[in-house]
Amino acid sequence: MTSKQKRKLTEFLFLVPTLLAFVMVIIIPFIYGIFYSFTDWQGTGTFTKMVGFENYKAIFNEPAFLHSFLKTLEFTIINIITVNVVAFLISLLVTGEIRGRNVYRAGFFVPNLIGGIVLGLIWQFIFSNILPAIGQAIGWDLISKSLISNKDTVMFTMVTVNTWQYAGYIMLIYVAAIQSISKSVMEAAEVDGARYWTRIAKIQIPLMANAFTISLFLTLTNSFKMYDVNVALTNGGPVSIFMNKPVQGSELLALNIYNTAFKFNNMAQGQAKAVLFFVVLTVFSIIQVSYNKSKEVEA
Amino acid sequence: MKKLVSLLLCVMMLLVSVSALADIVICQNKVEITNALMDYAKLYSEKTGVEVKVITGGGSSDYNTVLKAEMASGREPDIFVIEGPTGYNLWADRITDLTGEEWIQYTGMSYMVDGKVVGFPVSLEGYGLAYNKEILDKAGIDPATLTNVEAYRAAFEKLDSMKAELGLDMVVSMVAGTTTGMTWVTGLHNFNLYLTVGTPQGDQTFIQQVLEGKVDDERFHQYCQYVALLFQYSTQDMLLNGTQDSQLAAFANGKAAFYHQGNWMDPSLVVLNPSFEIGYAPHAFLQEDTDGIIAFTPSWYVVNAHGNVDEAKAFLAAMATTEEGHDYMVNKAGMVPAFTNVALQPTGPLSISLMKWNAEGKTYGAEQYQLPDGFGMQTLGPIYELLAQQVIDVDTFEIMMKDAIAGIAK
Repeated sequence: MTSKQKRKLTEFLFLVPTLLAFVMVIIIPFIYGIFYSFTDWQGTGTFTKMVGFENYKAIFNEPAFLHSFLKTLEFTIINIITVNVVAFLISLLVTGEIRGRNVYRAGFFVPNLIGGIVLGLIWQFIFSNILPAIGQAIGWDLISKSLISNKDTVMFTMVTVNTWQYAGYIMLIYVAAIQSISKSVMEAAEVDGARYWTRIAKIQIPLMANAFTISLFLTLTNSFKMYDVNVALTNGGPVSIFMNKPVQGSELLALNIYNTAFKFNNMAQGQAKAVLFFVVLTVFSIIQVSYNKSKEVEA
Repeated sequence: MKKLVSLLLCVMMLLVSVSALADIVICQNKVEITNALMDYAKLYSEKTGVEVKVITGGGSSDYNTVLKAEMASGREPDIFVIEGPTGYNLWADRITDLTGEEWIQYTGMSYMVDGKVVGFPVSLEGYGLAYNKEILDKAGIDPATLTNVEAYRAAFEKLDSMKAELGLDMVVSMVAGTTTGMTWVTGLHNFNLYLTVGTPQGDQTFIQQVLEGKVDDERFHQYCQYVALLFQYSTQDMLLNGTQDSQLAAFANGKAAFYHQGNWMDPSLVVLNPSFEIGYAPHAFLQEDTDGIIAFTPSWYVVNAHGNVDEAKAFLAAMATTEEGHDYMVNKAGMVPAFTNVALQPTGPLSISLMKWNAEGKTYGAEQYQLPDGFGMQTLGPIYELLAQQVIDVDTFEIMMKDAIAGIAK
């Protein structure tokens, strides 16, 4: 054995534990999952027969799933915008010349440390008890009824809670990016007479493009996979009518998959949905990342 | 280290020998009654000289694991718990025929297979439309007359017109929200009214029809009208945003005259300390009289044919027929016994009323547990919520419900 081969072997041996864990908990279950989506598995024991693409065909005839899909897209688009806009604005705030900015940084980040289930329950109380009480007291009709049980405003409540939770985290990424921009570039622009917003739009934002790539990717996947806030805040309700069938008005894809698998005990069907979910999310992410990558520049 | 191992082994041997020494071993699933049952077992031993050992598996899923382990241990439990057909089928070859036992005459809740009694009902649970006697008295309504839907319609109307002077926010405290996760109240418990009201305990007529995707049109129509009636006299806020707590609070604080929940709410109700008399009125949704509330048994004791059959039978018989047994079931374990010969009163007002109805033999069963997984809460529940939102009217509700039931067979 040459020394080069030896080194390769050593490197490989060091990788083995991690690789083993990765294969055991990610790769194997993933292959199993794809396999089960072609069976009639019910979650206990073994399956009785292969059903081919039946589970996948059934998905497209299910109004509840299609509705969840559209709602997830809607939620993702709105949520990406609000989270990133809010995160960017507060990152500008905490990198600016204000007093106590470290306190603000910590403060904005804290909601991210609270679990989604807890957050969901706290905000459920705010939206269905506190706001209506205030609304009734001051006679403001819009908030005098629970915003969660109204199908027109339920999306707003989910976006609010998720933005509140997630913007602080994305803010950190933006703060790091803003701080890494060399002071001299900004000062040069200032000397040349560029105003504050011009400097941000023409200098800062292009130089932070890699931060946008990461932040948009994180918010895209995070919104698409939204589950904990969804289940704790709205539990999929309120019910609305879609394609003449009753559907859960705010049930996002992850919750729909969970309910299919565990509430209806229809494991194979849930698995088929999960595979589809994976494919769609992968495609969206690749498109987003490659688009954002093309916009990145060096100073 | 060696010492520790040998010590552990000794302890284990001791444990094994203890359970081998016991004359009866009970494997049961109610964690909350473990201590009460152990105390009763000790009392029983002192009286009869029969050693009784209690093994408890926590929670229903855990219980099955524990039971399987015990069955494989070589000292099979003599008495164990089944929770329905699944448990029965699993252990059918071991379960003894109990026909001819003295306690059978005192209960309508035994687990029956092919006309043979095999299960001893552990406890009784039930629900009707709980009422606030004080409010009904003030409005001049006698709850005993509430035995058909017209009586209810008149009573609701009267209470609704007197809301201000009675201090009511709503007539019926009812919940139906998916957001608050209350669809089990509508999709399971309320839907069961259609399945069993007016039929003898154990009757399968309507559940079988539903499982085949069909309903009895006239009966179903009347049921849907009743649902609409309950919703009409609740408030939309309670229906959609009410939680288990707020639903109870409205009733316990005298803000609602009726309350749609079971006797399992007693512990919470007692804490709120209502100042008025409470009873159950029947969910009489039909035009003709139906005078009974829903009562059912969630689990049964069965006797293992591989064990001490006679001792086990005697133990169960003593529980159902002696004063000590009654004291254990009602006062110590806080259960509602499924037997008519028990004179003791439970402390919760809902349980007291449930026991009274049961003693009179006026009960209907619960068959909603035969519905496929998720059907009641996830498929039917949302349709009830649409009605509560007033997005659909009662006719559309009926059509959508039938449509959902027709899809059950798929």
